[in-house]
Amino acid sequence: MLTLESLAGGESQEVKISELESKLAQLGRSKMKENQGAEATVTRAASLTLVVLVETPEAAQEVSEQICAISEQNPCRAVVLVAQPEAKPAALRAWISVHFNQPSSASAKRLCAEQILVEARGDAVNDLGNVVLPLTLSGLPVHFWWRAARFDPPDYFRQVFRLTSRVLVDSARFLHPEPDLLELAGHVKRQSAQFSFLDLNWSRITPWRELISQCFDRPETRGYLDRLERVRIEYESESPRLAAQGVQALLIAGWLAGRLKWQPGARPSRKQNSTSSFYLRSAHGEVEVQRVARRFEGAGKGVCFWITLEGGGDPPASFKLDRGCDGRSVVTRAEILGRPLVTRTVRLEVLDEAQLVNEELQISGRDPIFEESLSIVARCLQT
Amino acid sequence: MAETSVLPNPLREGIRMRRTPDACAMVIFGASGDLTERKLLPALYYLARERLLPGGFSIIGCSRTPYSNDQFREKMRQAIVTHLNLDNGNDPILESFCKNVYYLTDNFGDPKAYSQLVDLINRLDQEGKTSGNRLFYLATPPSFFPVIVKHLGSAGLAKPKDPDKTWTRVVLEKPFGRDLESARQLNRTVTRVFHEDQVYRIDHYLGKETVQNLLVFRFANGIFEPIWNRRYIDHVQIAVAETLGVENRGSYYEESGLLRDMIQNHVLQLLSLVAMEPPASFDAKAVRDEKAKVLRALRPIPMEQVNDFTVRAQYAKGFAEGKEVPGYRSEPNVSPKSVTETFAALKLSLDNWRWADVPFYLRSGKRLAKRVSEITIQFRRVPHLLFQGAVTDSIEPNVMAVRIQPDEGISLRFSAKVPGTTPQIRPVKMDFRYGEAFGASPPTAYETLLLDCMLGDNTLFNRDDAVELSWELVTPILDRWKQDGEKGLASYEAGSWGPVEADAFIERDGRAWRRL
Repeated sequence: MLTLESLAGGESQEVKISELESKLAQLGRSKMKENQGAEATVTRAASLTLVVLVETPEAAQEVSEQICAISEQNPCRAVVLVAQPEAKPAALRAWISVHFNQPSSASAKRLCAEQILVEARGDAVNDLGNVVLPLTLSGLPVHFWWRAARFDPPDYFRQVFRLTSRVLVDSARFLHPEPDLLELAGHVKRQSAQFSFLDLNWSRITPWRELISQCFDRPETRGYLDRLERVRIEYESESPRLAAQGVQALLIAGWLAGRLKWQPGARPSRKQNSTSSFYLRSAHGEVEVQRVARRFEGAGKGVCFWITLEGGGDPPASFKLDRGCDGRSVVTRAEILGRPLVTRTVRLEVLDEAQLVNEELQISGRDPIFEESLSIVARCLQT
Repeated sequence: MAETSVLPNPLREGIRMRRTPDACAMVIFGASGDLTERKLLPALYYLARERLLPGGFSIIGCSRTPYSNDQFREKMRQAIVTHLNLDNGNDPILESFCKNVYYLTDNFGDPKAYSQLVDLINRLDQEGKTSGNRLFYLATPPSFFPVIVKHLGSAGLAKPKDPDKTWTRVVLEKPFGRDLESARQLNRTVTRVFHEDQVYRIDHYLGKETVQNLLVFRFANGIFEPIWNRRYIDHVQIAVAETLGVENRGSYYEESGLLRDMIQNHVLQLLSLVAMEPPASFDAKAVRDEKAKVLRALRPIPMEQVNDFTVRAQYAKGFAEGKEVPGYRSEPNVSPKSVTETFAALKLSLDNWRWADVPFYLRSGKRLAKRVSEITIQFRRVPHLLFQGAVTDSIEPNVMAVRIQPDEGISLRFSAKVPGTTPQIRPVKMDFRYGEAFGASPPTAYETLLLDCMLGDNTLFNRDDAVELSWELVTPILDRWKQDGEKGLASYEAGSWGPVEADAFIERDGRAWRRL
């Protein structure tokens, strides 16, 4: 079994909670001295404090590996919290380390990030908030990456949330996607005035949303946006990313509904075999949104994702965006009956978690479109 | 002519949505040339790959060399693979991109070729591969600009297909004229056919991230603008140094010279961004108006005073880029008696309230010691040396340096006490580097500018008045240098920092070039 001792090996050192800040400064200075060669310039850089909550030592290891990649684009102090309220005996331990990276453009080496790993077992989890507070960097924003299977913050994080500018969740990690999304929507509604919420799964669909938008930029296709009758989103039924893709489909539907002023609850949602449908009311009639989990030939990694939008009118039209098993590119097809098919291929890769966090950290402020979409998803799930 | 668009797309709202242009046909004249292969097609492919180009985007290459569509596609495919270091294997995105590339053989003067172009564009429109919008990119030598523009006009291609729904634009590569008169003539020729709003004069320097950041740096930070004036600034230096010689461009360079090639366009554009007043908004007209005002405020240098305000020089043989290199006059296609300058230094003044008595020193050259472009703002010294006991003759003035390339970034030099009991003061540097702060690589200048052009944003392109104003400044200098010939032309060793005359030129004012 992975332990934090083994994780903290190598460059990390265990320190007393009360000495975290001073030992970190000491470690930074000694590392800078070690690397201060004739040609190497070591600099410290930080643009934020990133607090990360994980639930297991394995997750802490995954995050530790990502911190360096995150720091290259968003230099930060990372405080990784491993909260294990069920573990015995109660204990609070901490390790510190520094990450270096090599800028591509210069020969200079630099200290780009400091990482503090805090493990809280049993009742000691109640102290986590107070451990974090003095570790945040002054004058810089605090981002809280909630890397857990559900967003339901316990009370001991209350003081940390007071300092937090933004909370990052990942609905792809939700154990029970639909009720957990509903719960998240409730938190967003209540707390978005206090800090902004961002969902990494929302970030995953941003390029899909861009591609869908592009389908309706042209004068000859713009009109179909008001006459959409069916949206079909297909994804892999047998992959480790099934739940993630299912939530992505919901968020796309919520986004379309919000932007196009579709009202949920035209009639009750329906589930038949692997197809879930819900119905919304547009200014022109009813829109059916289908989520279809199905088998794709040669698939299994959860990268296949197909979106079809069908518009009524004369002539009718359909717009298809298909990412196949290569997981790298999407073929788009705009088909208006009686006119030549317009097709192209563009890049759309599955981004890893560090890339997604990096993207999110570079956006400032709230994302009202996400909040709107999530709220509509919640309403749809309640019909 | 009003630019138009269709009904807004509500799906485009939101902070994450990047701008993508309307479907269009891009016609590149001079498509078999180096620029198309090295810069334009790789930039367009990159934009397409990153989903920044619309569905319904086609490229039509026009040039004198005969190619079939397939031959040209293959040539462009290879160029993209080579210049972007792509894997030469199966790339569905590249294949999809190349399918929408077409070619027409055109000697630029034959009306029939333009009729064929009209037919091809119309056919692509009908097939849904474009959408009535047209972008003409003139990547030819400038001598072809008038004839191409004239024929585009005659073929009815200069006017938007449907003025309420579509647009037509033309991009002109530099150099735009070779003196004031030829620039005016070219402007007249172009604007007889195209409206000025349709004309995009490209200067790739303006597409560089740091150049754009100059505006953000100056106008999105409250702390700089109050000190950005004659009261606090002693002088400004703008340096654009290259290590390369003229390579295989000897014939071109003999006609051009450094002043035309770098100062008239790139360096004066940088100067206008440094010196401009805050525009009322960040729209193209407001920004370009303010830049033009700066150029208008430049104090003219009369022919008889040119040698007081300029230095020109030519590189001799030396050691650069790790090897022995020949002098300019020994380069291929260069006259052994050439008096073309490969280095120039200028001292300019701006006659306005903000910059009165603040000299702007410009220098640029080929075969210099280092490839670097930098803007240096040197602030005034402190009025009184308070630390009399300090172990120092004087306190160095504060210097802010904006590095454009390489290692884009901004640094500030200030004085600090050396730790210890002796009161020593030493200058230290505070550094911001793009690569370190943001990690991600910025888009190339051509990606930025091509996208802006398709989006109808001409903020980063030169306007006719700005072009003429810069030629107004430069033309008397060129005339005087031409008149003087060999007299006054200094020499410098290749791989050095230019002629000693340039050092003397600035030292005369009690100043020195910044070490780059």
